[in-house]
Amino acid sequence: MEIMKTITLKRSIWAYALGMALMLIAYSGQAQNYYVYVTAESEDEVSVIKFDGEKAENIKDIPVGVWPAEIEGPHGITVGPNGEYWYLSMAHGNPYGTLYKYKTGTDEVVGTVQLGLFPASMQISPVTGLLYCVNFNLHGDMVPSTVSVVDVESMTELEQITTGAMPHGSRLSADGMKHYSVAMMSGELFEIDAFNLKVARTLDLDEASKMLDMDHSKMDHSKMDHSKMDHSKMDHDADKKEMDHSKMNHSKMDHSKMGHDMGGMKHSAFKPTWVSPHPTKDVVYVAGNGQAEVLEIDTKTWKPTRKFKTDKGPYNIDLSPDGKYMVVSYKTAAKTGIWDLESGKELARLDNSQKVTHGVAISSDSKYAFVTVEGMYDESGKVDVIDLSTMKVVDTAELGKQAGGIAFWKVDEE
Amino acid sequence: MIPLRLIKNTTRRISAVALIAIAVSLSFEAFAQKKIIIETTDLDFNVGDKRKISAYVEEDGKRIEANVRLYSRDKKKLYIDSEGMAEAFLPGEVNILAFVPGVRHAFNVNVNFPAIAEIRISDIPENVYAGSPIKLQYKIIDEAGLDRNDVQVSFNSSDEEIAVVDDFGNVYTQAKGNVKVTARVDNIENVININVQTNPIEKLQLDVESDGNRTGDVFRFSANAVDKNGNSVDVPIRYSFDGKADDVSTSASGLIRQDGRFVADKAGIYSVTASAGVATAQKTFRISERDVYRKIETVGQGLVTEKFTSDLWIWEGQDGRDYGVTGTWNADGTAYFWDVTDPSNISRIDSIQVDARTVNDVKVSEDGNITVISREGASNRKNGLVILDTSNPRDVKIISTFDENLTGGVHNVFIDKGYIYALSAGQKYYIIDIKDPKNPKAVSKFELETPGHSIHDVWVQDGIAYSSNWSDGVQLVDVGNGIAGGSPENPVQFASYTYPSGDNHAAFPFKSKSTGKFYVIAGDEVFPYAENGSYLAGGYLHMIDFTDLDNPEEVARFEVPFAGSHNYWVDEESETLYATFYNGGVRVIDISGELMGDLLAQGRQINFFLPGDPDGFIPNMPQTWGAQLHKGHLFYSDMHSGLWASKVAPKETETVKIQSK
Repeated sequence: MEIMKTITLKRSIWAYALGMALMLIAYSGQAQNYYVYVTAESEDEVSVIKFDGEKAENIKDIPVGVWPAEIEGPHGITVGPNGEYWYLSMAHGNPYGTLYKYKTGTDEVVGTVQLGLFPASMQISPVTGLLYCVNFNLHGDMVPSTVSVVDVESMTELEQITTGAMPHGSRLSADGMKHYSVAMMSGELFEIDAFNLKVARTLDLDEASKMLDMDHSKMDHSKMDHSKMDHSKMDHDADKKEMDHSKMNHSKMDHSKMGHDMGGMKHSAFKPTWVSPHPTKDVVYVAGNGQAEVLEIDTKTWKPTRKFKTDKGPYNIDLSPDGKYMVVSYKTAAKTGIWDLESGKELARLDNSQKVTHGVAISSDSKYAFVTVEGMYDESGKVDVIDLSTMKVVDTAELGKQAGGIAFWKVDEE
Repeated sequence: MIPLRLIKNTTRRISAVALIAIAVSLSFEAFAQKKIIIETTDLDFNVGDKRKISAYVEEDGKRIEANVRLYSRDKKKLYIDSEGMAEAFLPGEVNILAFVPGVRHAFNVNVNFPAIAEIRISDIPENVYAGSPIKLQYKIIDEAGLDRNDVQVSFNSSDEEIAVVDDFGNVYTQAKGNVKVTARVDNIENVININVQTNPIEKLQLDVESDGNRTGDVFRFSANAVDKNGNSVDVPIRYSFDGKADDVSTSASGLIRQDGRFVADKAGIYSVTASAGVATAQKTFRISERDVYRKIETVGQGLVTEKFTSDLWIWEGQDGRDYGVTGTWNADGTAYFWDVTDPSNISRIDSIQVDARTVNDVKVSEDGNITVISREGASNRKNGLVILDTSNPRDVKIISTFDENLTGGVHNVFIDKGYIYALSAGQKYYIIDIKDPKNPKAVSKFELETPGHSIHDVWVQDGIAYSSNWSDGVQLVDVGNGIAGGSPENPVQFASYTYPSGDNHAAFPFKSKSTGKFYVIAGDEVFPYAENGSYLAGGYLHMIDFTDLDNPEEVARFEVPFAGSHNYWVDEESETLYATFYNGGVRVIDISGELMGDLLAQGRQINFFLPGDPDGFIPNMPQTWGAQLHKGHLFYSDMHSGLWASKVAPKETETVKIQSK
């Protein structure tokens, strides 16, 4: 069964890759326009930013939400695999947030579905056709939150899969069969089987980060007594496979009685805020917002393999589709880091146009990185466009307040 | 001549498109050979059924090993677990999604409605008299134990000479005798025997009590059927009314309840009729205009032109002068402080900026020394509260911030006796001890346990917290009143009221001195109200009589056409309600006496004002947020133009000038 699935998937991926490659050939040497959708979280708007290789401009502001006297907070945004629809997570509701489905181009709402508390980042798997959206639950209670799984054809929430406290960043593996998310406050990486909709593995990222700090070459392992080690914090996959959190009623839990001062969970120092799988390799990259580092995790061994020391507050990550670059937003430092994945070296650390750097999306041809910058107070949100060949900010476009979620839509010709 | 570049580009484009098409068709070809077959043929379920739905994958006509996942698109009706085991909960058609990677198939399962199990008829009068109709109270229950309102009961009488029954269970008794009334749904029936007796009623006596005879005044009619000896006869009485309005362009509308309460909307002549079938009684009376109009004069304005304005609070400072604070919405995290001692000369005296985009709510302690402002849109996403020292409102200082469990943004707050009540997560409120304002400390929280519970606002008065909980309505919680043994450290819920729309956004208590009744005024907020991104709000104020805490009753409403309610203020002394209605401006409403029916139709609106300023953030467009009465002046905030002060003039005595030659 698995073999058949793999063969079918491989055929599909090869065909898709061939198509993309041909598209790149066709477009090379021509004037091209790039389009991204960007959320303005404190403006209740989504903007379409067009970039022609030199100039970035906001060509359309799309009002979103239904409450003119409340800020509903558009946060996560993604474009479906065939580019026909884009999806928006609206953070605030009564009390749950909402997923909106829009037609690309006309930007009309064609469907909605209620999700969990403060739905945030999301993506659609091309093989399951399902959308996976983390429910960030930014409201402060240290309780496990969930990943909502939505059938976007009917806009029905099929499942909520329980993960950790404040799950924020999430992305699917290139084959669309595994969903990765990180829980910011409990400091965990979750791998969800995107087909069976179950948590397959978890990893304690605080421990993973510490592992790479150890200098094993100087240790005398012969003196170690393994029987006294607490392995329980290293890899929980074996324990959690049988747990079905979807059947638990967490609303009835009294976390105040758990002895953690209204929060029964570990407060992660690592504070993972994003995870991005490599487009071709079995590794994922996790932003450790609290410790100014990005961890590379081998998804075969489920162990950390490399650590990239960043500037303050690494927040979001995107990898270039050609697999060469990792672009990391440094939220606290108001900078963007561009890393060579092969060498593990930071090629550039660029100042962003204002404070609070947020999201990253790289064009499908791996040429440009689009970085959102929230700003503060009543400052406009901004999108800085970075040329990945020159490692320079080419231009900046403005939109509504608190530019956050960003999704690459398309590249076309003049 | 066609440029070479264009030819090259076109050729490239065509070849690319062709190759992409091949690639895409290859991709689809890989999946097109597979399809999902639903093996289970019986897809009809009954409620409570639990059985497996089997499916497999066929490739090139051959069955292959594949794990097909099935998901219900309506889990409330039918849930399917990871093994394909389906369990039916509610009747109806349910669409199921089956998929394996790359292949999807949708199909329908039917959950049959359970058979009707029982028609339960209750409260049959002990004595039924010929000529005095009765109404049967009935309930239809199915085999799953659910009440069924979707089925029609048919009634028939065994002898229509004695009694006729209509489709609604009204039994029109005709003559003395025994009759069987059969209620039937499908093959289930319930037969009751009614012994129709000779009607002893000789006449009907009708009495009425009322505190006035104006529109909006509630009359209490009581009818008493008596026999020839003057003894009361226990028989159902039906009340109705008709009338003629003084204004020929309108009709004599009003409301009558079957307990005899009546209220008229328009001035005119009304008749209330009580009927016991064979006997009726009627009273005719004149209703005059309520005549509550009073002038509203705009006294002053604190114009805010540069951003949206949110809530307000007005207080008397330690120096005896009067001050105000207003928040800002979707802006830069600023709160403005005003000297409003002379309402005709409102001046901005200070401001404070915090890391936020919206300062949605502002509240001030009883002594004026502490102000709390709420934060939404903070750049660090920690939001929470900012506690300010406003002992000198001309030099406001930040004392502390508090964001524990409030990081998602605080929408509303309240201060009462050294405690802040702050909303968190749209689900609950925390109670925070600020007796030491430098070290605020959460001491408790109040949260419902209902599925999907939600909250929007909380207001505290006399030790009772009134929270507005959308579909869970108004919740009354003892936080120090003593009625239920509660305290800020131990909030105890003791009463509640929900209404079907689920739009409860604000709640305010009103103890009516003129009637002794205890009302809670529950306001809606409804968006979107109109199509195409309209700025119009919907919703209205629900007047709920909480005098009997265990049996609250919604008795009246105040609704402004094409505008929606927001916040409001009750002056219990004058029994006047000051309500803001977004695009409908500020409304002044007479809530004296007993409340019943449609308060606007009754002419209880004293006056209204639509604030708009040509220099406003959005010019000349009212979007009024909140109101407060302070030392005889009505202060209110408007999102588009800032802070306003008005004076509602006393009722003018009509003077008639007599001319003489």
